[in-house]
Amino acid sequence: MKDNLKIAIYSGEIPSTTFIERLILGLSDKGCKILLFGYVTKKIKYKEGVIIRGYADNRWYKMSQFLRYSVLLFLFRNTEKKKLDEYIAKEMKKKTFAKMKYYPVLWHKPHIFHLQWTKSVKDWIWVQDFGIKLVVSLRGTHITTTPLSDLKVSEEYKKYFPRIDGFHAVSEALKKEGEKYGADSSKIKVVYSGLSEADFVDKKRNQDKVFKIISVGRNHWIKGYSYALDSCKILKENQFEFEYTIIGASGAEELEFVKEKYKLSKEVIFTGNKSFNEVQESIKNADLLLLPSIEEGIANTVLEAMQLGTIVLTTNCGGMSEVIKNGKNGFIVPIRDPQMIAESIMNLASMDQKKSEEIIKEAFITIQNNHSEKKMITDMISLYNDVLNNAYQNSSQDKLGK
Amino acid sequence: MKIGLVLPSTPGYSETFFRNKILGLQQNGIKVILFVNDYKSDEYFLNCKVIKAPRLGGNKFKVVLNIFMQVLKMVLVSPRNSLKLFILNKKDKLSTTQNVKQVIANQFLLTEKLDWIHFGFGTMTLGRENVAQTIGAKMAVSFRGFDIGIYPLKHPNCYKSMFQKVNKIHVISDDLANLLYQEGLSEYKKIVKITPAIDTHFFLSEAKKENAILQFTTIARLHWKKGLENTLEALCLLNQQGIDFKYTIIGDGGEKERLIFAVKQLKLTEKVIFTGKLSSEKVKKQLEATDIYIQYSLQEGFCNAVLEAQAMGVLCIVSDAEGLSENVIDKVTGFVVPKQQPKLLFKKIKEVIDLDDAQKKELSLKAMERVQNEFTIEKQQQEFLNFYEEN
Repeated sequence: MKDNLKIAIYSGEIPSTTFIERLILGLSDKGCKILLFGYVTKKIKYKEGVIIRGYADNRWYKMSQFLRYSVLLFLFRNTEKKKLDEYIAKEMKKKTFAKMKYYPVLWHKPHIFHLQWTKSVKDWIWVQDFGIKLVVSLRGTHITTTPLSDLKVSEEYKKYFPRIDGFHAVSEALKKEGEKYGADSSKIKVVYSGLSEADFVDKKRNQDKVFKIISVGRNHWIKGYSYALDSCKILKENQFEFEYTIIGASGAEELEFVKEKYKLSKEVIFTGNKSFNEVQESIKNADLLLLPSIEEGIANTVLEAMQLGTIVLTTNCGGMSEVIKNGKNGFIVPIRDPQMIAESIMNLASMDQKKSEEIIKEAFITIQNNHSEKKMITDMISLYNDVLNNAYQNSSQDKLGK
Repeated sequence: MKIGLVLPSTPGYSETFFRNKILGLQQNGIKVILFVNDYKSDEYFLNCKVIKAPRLGGNKFKVVLNIFMQVLKMVLVSPRNSLKLFILNKKDKLSTTQNVKQVIANQFLLTEKLDWIHFGFGTMTLGRENVAQTIGAKMAVSFRGFDIGIYPLKHPNCYKSMFQKVNKIHVISDDLANLLYQEGLSEYKKIVKITPAIDTHFFLSEAKKENAILQFTTIARLHWKKGLENTLEALCLLNQQGIDFKYTIIGDGGEKERLIFAVKQLKLTEKVIFTGKLSSEKVKKQLEATDIYIQYSLQEGFCNAVLEAQAMGVLCIVSDAEGLSENVIDKVTGFVVPKQQPKLLFKKIKEVIDLDDAQKKELSLKAMERVQNEFTIEKQQQEFLNFYEEN
């Protein structure tokens, strides 16, 4: 690895989601110097090696950031500043805001700028003109749904993807999605999300008669909760005793409506968002984690459940089949099929203790082997190195050509 | 007779329901005054005086000014009514703060002498339960789909006080009446059903062309209530059986991304067309070219589009959501399928495709006849006259 590899992890917000934060800490533990740019929503203290160069939502803060970096660039790197100013003048609408956002990145010049959300690719493509390598993550609705309904976004992807230095895909399935927009297959590396190490919990089966099912995730149609409710109706018709909780779905008009129509007020509970620890606790206490989504990268809540010893039933969407092998370390049903969800739930609830223990153990091993934080960090660093080595090879080839 | 109609805003061009109602009343010598929440509306609408609610949100300075104006009004224009409203509210055990707020916010409703005050939607009565009694008018309320089907889910018992004070309730379907009973209304006699109506002179069938491939159509806002995702799932099954068709969805809305994704995921890209919103002329044209009209909603007050399709002699398949099963009589003027079960919808569509021409013709004639007899604007206008005159 290059000495003092300087990497910007950019998600727009500081701090970011649990998984991106885990990536930041892991990389810095491996000796990388991490730079964080963007909007600081909450004060946060990192260890040495992680430097925050973001801005708070405050006029004076933004102004001082803008002035500071304007002066620095003007004094020491005026040619580059001029070049970026020209670009901003040509391409950007909110010019001063763009300068406030871009100047610190230009000044600190990381080796790699790793963009976490695909949709902003147009906003950051310029870094390549200044010798910064651009790595883009392919994850979530930015790649699965947005470009389908928003033609502008899909055009942008087609235009910029062939130029990106490297991609991180959260699953093989999303790698294929990326290729549809012209991303070079050899430049996409699948790096699975990783969990911090944990001990295997030998969970005893809930002695309660009521079977406890849980789903975790924001209220979005892509999560397929309406199908889960359809299957709850079927479970109830079959006199199957259950309790189904969706964490993160409270206040959803559509779901409340369907719950009321199906008369599921006793069986189904919607709660608001909960803290990471509370969510872990709830998953632990459930008999089953259900992922009824119609599209996903690889759902982190599934990985967490597998680590916590809770059996998983997922739809066969996105990259889920890369994690779950049906009947081995969890269960898979087709998307948009409430009947199958209900039948699977009833079947697996009556599964014998031994089989259930086997599945839980197998799920834990899957996480250990493929989804450890260690593996995620090693894979990510190898992606960064590939990007830098490629760049080196290309530039030496250029030289040879000359 | 003088009737005050309380609405969110003056009815838009496409909201034929209130337009027709107003015109019908006026033709019979009844004076109509509109009370609207929308402060941007015109002073007059269809020859009705329009009285606008003060703006009590947004720019703080303006809000303070508006409140001040309302307080002035309270003291100078309608002190007696304001006091009366305050006392009535107090009897209902409203907190003094809430009470004063209501008296100030409802000043604009207190100035006219009316025989009836008619709230266009159930939710518009909230915080105004005692207004009618204050001004010595009778109180009427119209219930549509949302205000009884969905709103009370999050606001249980919100209509309890109103149910005791209202004189008459207008619903557009029996199903909505049932929902009202479930919500706690006890007096059956207060409810009058007046179904929506359509311009039966405009939506008249014309000779139909033979389509090379089957044409399906739905007219709906792109909203989860409309069950379009379920419809697409049913059509996916049809497609898998090798049946060729085109499906046109007319309408706009917030859930376009969800539906476009479903179309791609269900491999229907070649089959489905989103036209956006269309003019009545274009809607008519599309209906003329339609073989089967589908309305597979999760929730639906009544649905004028289904009436229009039937008036044009198009075979209709609808869900059993609320008013739809009254709109279409199953197996007589069309078909009703249990909602949220795409597999059943798929089976029904197949069944209808396989009907012979004589059967299709019979259904379509029955539907046309029923709409032409029972859902005309003229009939609806007469029913509204009776609504206010009977006691």
